[in-house]
Amino acid sequence: MKKKLLATVLSAAMIGSVLSGCGSSAASTDTAAAASSAAPAAAATSEAAATEESTAAATSETAAATGEVDYSKDSGEIYMFISSPEYADAINTLIDEYKEVAPNVTINYETTQNDYPTLLKAKINSGEIPDIFSSTSGKEIDTYKEYSYDLSDQPLMDTISDSVASVMASPSDGTGMYGIAIKGNYFGMVYNKDIFDEVGITAFPQTTTELEDACEKISAAGYTPFTTGYAEWWVFKHAAQSFIDAAAEDAGISTAELVTKFENGEAKIKDYPAIYDNFFNFLDLTVKYGDDKPLETDLSGEESAFGTGKAAMVVGQGAWIEGDVKSINPDINIGFDGYPVSDNADQCKVISGSDQALHVNKDSENLQATLDFVNWWYTSDTGKAWFTDVAGVVPPIKTDAESDFAIINQGNALAADEGTNDLEIIYSTDSWHQSAGEILQAYLAGTNDKDETCSQLEAKWQEIDGAAE
Amino acid sequence: MGKSKKGQKEKLENVLYTLPAIVFVTMMMYIPFVMSGYYSLTEWNGISKTPKFVGFANFIDLVTGDKSYLTSLWFTMKYTIFFVIVSNILALALAVVLTKKFKGVNVYRGMFFIPYIMSMTIVGFIWKFIFTQGFSKLFETTNWGFLNLSWLGDPKLAFWAVSFVGVWQSLGFYIVLYIAGLQAVPNDVLEAAVVDGCNGRQKFFKVTLPLLGPSFTTCIFMSLTNGLKVFDIILALTKGGPGGSTYSATLQIYKVAFTDNNYGKGSAEAIIYFLVVLVITQLVLKGMSRKEVDL
Repeated sequence: MKKKLLATVLSAAMIGSVLSGCGSSAASTDTAAAASSAAPAAAATSEAAATEESTAAATSETAAATGEVDYSKDSGEIYMFISSPEYADAINTLIDEYKEVAPNVTINYETTQNDYPTLLKAKINSGEIPDIFSSTSGKEIDTYKEYSYDLSDQPLMDTISDSVASVMASPSDGTGMYGIAIKGNYFGMVYNKDIFDEVGITAFPQTTTELEDACEKISAAGYTPFTTGYAEWWVFKHAAQSFIDAAAEDAGISTAELVTKFENGEAKIKDYPAIYDNFFNFLDLTVKYGDDKPLETDLSGEESAFGTGKAAMVVGQGAWIEGDVKSINPDINIGFDGYPVSDNADQCKVISGSDQALHVNKDSENLQATLDFVNWWYTSDTGKAWFTDVAGVVPPIKTDAESDFAIINQGNALAADEGTNDLEIIYSTDSWHQSAGEILQAYLAGTNDKDETCSQLEAKWQEIDGAAE
Repeated sequence: MGKSKKGQKEKLENVLYTLPAIVFVTMMMYIPFVMSGYYSLTEWNGISKTPKFVGFANFIDLVTGDKSYLTSLWFTMKYTIFFVIVSNILALALAVVLTKKFKGVNVYRGMFFIPYIMSMTIVGFIWKFIFTQGFSKLFETTNWGFLNLSWLGDPKLAFWAVSFVGVWQSLGFYIVLYIAGLQAVPNDVLEAAVVDGCNGRQKFFKVTLPLLGPSFTTCIFMSLTNGLKVFDIILALTKGGPGGSTYSATLQIYKVAFTDNNYGKGSAEAIIYFLVVLVITQLVLKGMSRKEVDL
């Protein structure tokens, strides 16, 4: 009898644990994730506090937007919680530099590798909105609009580059400046110049036919033409955008209009051969001439296949892989060009812009200090030099500074020479991109055929990005 | 008089001792549970300041909308069935072996238990490495065909890969429970069975096994709940891929709520899943407790 009782109590406890496991599974994972990132954050905070014990809470004065700004008048704490942990060291340097000009301001910088949007949501819902936080640019600007300060009257407007500024406006009404970027970016095909030279291809293929020829030559020489990274959903969005640009151009409308049409269910993929034929052919081609296990290869798999000289071209990546690839093989001769998307060589262009945005919380307790910091970042000499000298990124500002990176230099040259394609990915949310990536993975796995895949894409596009906003 | 005073004091103690637990459990479980019940009736992206009340629209959408939630439920059922059966049979078999006396038995027990004390995420990443890099290297030396399959890249194989790692990781825990159960089987009963003329197999199936009843209940129940809760191993191994073929119910809820910014629908999925789990666990519990044998 006693045993029975024990068993009942035990199982009741277990039901309790199941209950918590599902009823609030979202919340519990949340806490776990928050806890794991809390440790470095706490360390950062205490470090910051140690150097700045004596900060007195003084009222921040409204600095004049013109002329020399006296940053030392600002005081208080700025809580900066952003993604992109790859720039953590660089941003810490930036913060140290700012300490020199504004000794009374303490910046608590926190960054995380995984699950940034989830953590941000948890913070927003618990009323702890960071003074500076990030999202993707474009469509997601609207999602966070009610928390974001409109920067369009700030001094940094003078220095921000046009391609970055254009993606920071609210897409629903086309006005405002709701964010700044850590970096501009280049998207396109990264290739190994030495392999192309070895098989006798002097110029990077500009049309789909040339691309197929090149693949045959490269694979005959014993190299893998493509490494694809199709295990990552976001590789698909980077690869697809040039094709969608081409589809819009062929139809005589802007890319934004085409995306809106898809969102409203007014367009069918079948009517756009640049997507229905060329993009799917491209996927098939990259799998045929690609990695042995395409759906298992992720970003690091791509980098190692390319860095070790096995693969000739990297699909779905851009300027950000150069550092990692160089650390595998410092002597690699990297080339960079657009995707050959059709038989029209003019449509093979690189893509530039910023896919990330840093927002300033408009209800921040320390709004003026926060604004001064971002203005200083974008307008002071130290801040401007930071982008190329410290972070080594495509500067999101108007500058002539030279870069050490092959992809950035070639991207700059190509952009000046033949122009750029539209940064299509920002017209949609990452929710849609992730679903689309999964649908395309199912296509590559052979679960669905092309028409089924297209109808799924059309349906999801409407469901996720369509009527909701 | 003195007796009732003592009784009152005891009552007070009981309340006071359980109070902290009650407070925490309420804060961490019941309140969030009620809140997600509310959010399931709203359309909310998890960010905006005002959730919009939509009644049962989210629930209707789950049934009539796209199939991904139902697919994930089906996946979880398959996973749980596989997980419960395989981990219990394997654990029992290994426990029987590990209660025998042979050299290094404690080392073996330790080896089986080590995966269980590692973090699920780490186990996931280790196996991801083995499935991708490890297998391809092994294939080069051995040429065994199964090593060259795309275990995480093929939707059909990914299920087996994920299930296998899930079983591998938690096996040690069930082994320990079964070992404890086996050691608790009284020797005199077993001796009596031998005296009555039982052979080894009869002794195991007719005497030991029925007496393991409480261990069975615990192990099956634990593996059932752990199977239904599967989340982190899939997140680390496949992130629900390839092509969304390995979404478990919990991962699906997480995705809808946090990736798709549809907190309302995610909460609705969680509520439905809660009901499903409640029914399953109750049924299994009823079935199990009826079979238990008391000595």
